Amino acid sequence: MLLVSLSLVGLSPRMAAQEPEVGSRTQLAQAIDHEIGLQLADQNWPTAEIVNDAQYLRRVTLDLAGRIPTAKEREEFLADTAAGTEAGKREKLVDRLLASPDFAFHLRNELDILLLAQLQWNNEWRNYLLEAMQQQRPIDALVREILLPEKHRPDDKGAVAFLRQRVNNLDALTNDSSSLLFGVNIACAKCHDHPLVPDWQQDHYFGYASFFKRTFGTRRGLLAERFEGELKFTTVKGEEKRSKFMFLSGQTVEEPAITRSEDQLKTIRDQLKKAEQDDKADPPPSPEFSPREALLKLAFETSSDVKSQPLVARNFANRIWARLMGRGLVHPLDQMHSGNPPSHAALLDRLTDELIKAAYDPKPLMRGIVLSDAYARSAQWPHATPQPGPEAFAVAAPRALTPFQYSLSLWIASRNPEKLPGMTKPDDWLAVRGQWEQRSEGFARRFEIPGELFQVGVEEALLLSNNEQTERDYLASNPDMLVGHLKSINDHNQLVQMAYASVFGRAATAEEQSTIANYLTARADRADAAITQFVWALLTSAEFRFNH
Amino acid sequence: MEFGDLRIGLSRRQMLSASALGMAGVAANMSRLDLLGQPAFAEELQKQNKSVILLWLAGGASQLETWDPKPGRHTGGPFAKIQTCIPGIEISELLPKMSSRLHETAIIRSLNTKIADHGQAYELMDRGRVGEPGVHFPHLGAVIAQQLARIDSRVPDYVEMYTSTEGRRKGSAGFLGARYNPMFLTESMIPENLKRLNSIEDVDHQERSDLQRYLSQQFTRQLNHHVVDSHTTAYQRVRGLMASDHLFDIEREPQAMRDHYGPTQFGEPCLAARRLVEAGVPFVKVARAWWDSHGQNFETHRELCADLDYVMAALLDDLKQRGMLERTLVITLGEFGRTPQINGSLGRDHFASAWSCTLSGCGIRGGTVYGKTDDDGKTVVEGETNSGDLFATIFSALGIDVKQETMLGSRPIPIVDFGSEAIKEVLA
Repeated sequence: MLLVSLSLVGLSPRMAAQEPEVGSRTQLAQAIDHEIGLQLADQNWPTAEIVNDAQYLRRVTLDLAGRIPTAKEREEFLADTAAGTEAGKREKLVDRLLASPDFAFHLRNELDILLLAQLQWNNEWRNYLLEAMQQQRPIDALVREILLPEKHRPDDKGAVAFLRQRVNNLDALTNDSSSLLFGVNIACAKCHDHPLVPDWQQDHYFGYASFFKRTFGTRRGLLAERFEGELKFTTVKGEEKRSKFMFLSGQTVEEPAITRSEDQLKTIRDQLKKAEQDDKADPPPSPEFSPREALLKLAFETSSDVKSQPLVARNFANRIWARLMGRGLVHPLDQMHSGNPPSHAALLDRLTDELIKAAYDPKPLMRGIVLSDAYARSAQWPHATPQPGPEAFAVAAPRALTPFQYSLSLWIASRNPEKLPGMTKPDDWLAVRGQWEQRSEGFARRFEIPGELFQVGVEEALLLSNNEQTERDYLASNPDMLVGHLKSINDHNQLVQMAYASVFGRAATAEEQSTIANYLTARADRADAAITQFVWALLTSAEFRFNH
Repeated sequence: MEFGDLRIGLSRRQMLSASALGMAGVAANMSRLDLLGQPAFAEELQKQNKSVILLWLAGGASQLETWDPKPGRHTGGPFAKIQTCIPGIEISELLPKMSSRLHETAIIRSLNTKIADHGQAYELMDRGRVGEPGVHFPHLGAVIAQQLARIDSRVPDYVEMYTSTEGRRKGSAGFLGARYNPMFLTESMIPENLKRLNSIEDVDHQERSDLQRYLSQQFTRQLNHHVVDSHTTAYQRVRGLMASDHLFDIEREPQAMRDHYGPTQFGEPCLAARRLVEAGVPFVKVARAWWDSHGQNFETHRELCADLDYVMAALLDDLKQRGMLERTLVITLGEFGRTPQINGSLGRDHFASAWSCTLSGCGIRGGTVYGKTDDDGKTVVEGETNSGDLFATIFSALGIDVKQETMLGSRPIPIVDFGSEAIKEVLA
């Protein structure tokens, strides 16, 4: 791999400017490495090495399946020679993971964390997301459904949750939807024009908020829109303004003029009020002009900047990159504006194009990213020169596992590896995964969601140190469990290797092996307990807690 | 020498001394662990061992029956006011013990915080600012913990005790990170997961955590990453925290001291709070509920004020006698006050326009009153102040720099709300 980094360093930008001709399956991966490589070459930065197969398998399984691989999956992958080349082998693995039922479960958990889980645990919503992912509904469809559930998911109490959870707070509707779906945090522009970003002014904030102003929750747990209602605001100069329906791009939409008699208006208001207060009321009438529908039209049908790409596509391309690489091309993720350009502008354009070309199916984009060298770099910096900043993508950033990644992985790592399935048929796997997901929920709900300034808290350390559930779920000594299995192995060296393989997915070094074997030997008087403690130490170690 | 080599295979007794060695090695390395990067003066501050005890009057206590009485007015209610030990300062007759202990206490009578809904007002008064979508502001205890706690502290650094169910709300470290989340106590006075399970012997518990540290170091020594380091810190604190469980056990106090605080739902946690603070815990919140007297305000306050008066006086006396009051700030605060108007059920409703709180001890100019309400207590007429100013005052009293900011993405978030200033008149 040293060769690769040296050749990159030596590459002149002009020479590298031609995108290499390769097979269509890895074109995107090549393009990514090309763009990342240009900047590395420009700065004369070396890169970290490419991880080995076992490390790659763990990383990519966590990223595409949301869990660690089982022992059998690992054996099968490491032994696979049918694909011919190293690259072909990894490609085959990635395609298998993308086709596995795991993928929909994992994407559901990722989307839940992004859109709702920080505020609320909601089973109807989680079921809705899972079904959408299992049916491979693309991202644009999802955005349409959650912003306009009345039309796209009538009577679906899950799909409404994104808006309903925030429906009594116009600022939350405004800010969360613009940050999460469009990558634009306009909160600062509420009280004054944004101090740092000329793109965002009070007109934008209130213009965008206007699209949500008429939205309310019905007593039946759904959503509806009023026929009237406008937003007024006061500028810093004290001038009162009536806001237009204005998208973040500055484009506006005029409400068609419809004249109604006072009687008609009163009837409508009564119907809406009834729907708001009475769970047996008829569904409320829908207005001819739906502000949220107008918002969606602007969001998808107009280009939001010079790139002629909708903000929603750029946002999701950037967020997908960030989830897989540990940092956005635009960073922070909700600061997509002219004053905060991407670290690799052409690359973000390309990723966005890829998402649009795939009709908002995220799979081709994710596939390209995880097959790139940039993704496969080690988290260790081997050079004497200082490590470049994270925006160079010269070295991998260790990422804390999300609650479900961690909980599912603890579940898998603590079973008897010989009783866990390998690469079975997708149909069988669906049931297996469903069961794992269910068993992991309890712990998943107790772990913190890693946010921007995440740190592991002592609450988690205490939970895993002193809770009975931890003992029961992960350290029981029956033959279905890793602890039970290890007790049947007499040879200490073999035992240590088995445990490392099951939990860390790698072999123990000679030093580790002898250290642990000594530990076990010193406790020969209580050998079973010593094994339990060894397994506990593996499961709670930092190496297991992160994707690296 | 590697930690693991040092440890494994040694006798249990040797093990314990090796453990001490290990801790020293780790402590030396602490400076790079703090994600937010603490300047030198912050470290200096941490050495001074300052603490806060927040007596939280959940539901909202009436200022008229406590710190700002208006007897004789139609809003005044049936209780008289009494002269305190400070000439010119009078408080409600429901607080007789406190009336003779105002030397270390400042009363603020001019809070106008505008929000009179329990949930939102709690967020306001426990975070010092109005919430904002997408930004998870930390609660007071988390900020204090982050400012005053040593990163490798062997005691908890943010404890909340809610013995009663009404108004029970758990604070959060928000964007400061789970490192500063509270230890939250409700039914039991002993925190969850602090006790070793019977299924494992103590020596094995110790040894397995040494083993875990060895395994983690095999991984972390190759990386230089603050989030990975926070994992190490969290586990390093487990044994120390477990050893601190006795701090929560008030049965270890002499009977006379337990009598001093009283065998009550409020007195006992306050005694535990003093034990915690004495051991170096920087922030303890003790909630007393339920002050929300929409009906029978006067009966409610006769009972709750007697409790508050007794316990607050006991706490201040105890802290003073132990020489701890100069380094301990005691705050009495709730989410709001109560209406001057007395309603048809002889109750007082939510009121956030003109109400009171107190600050005692560390950094406070005792025997002062700040601000003034009108004759009926309906509006603030002098020294109007709000939650942001109150937080700036609290931080200033503790020596915490109120000008500092945390970078959240590209946005600087000041430690106190924009435009907030400390109330200098109540600072020592």
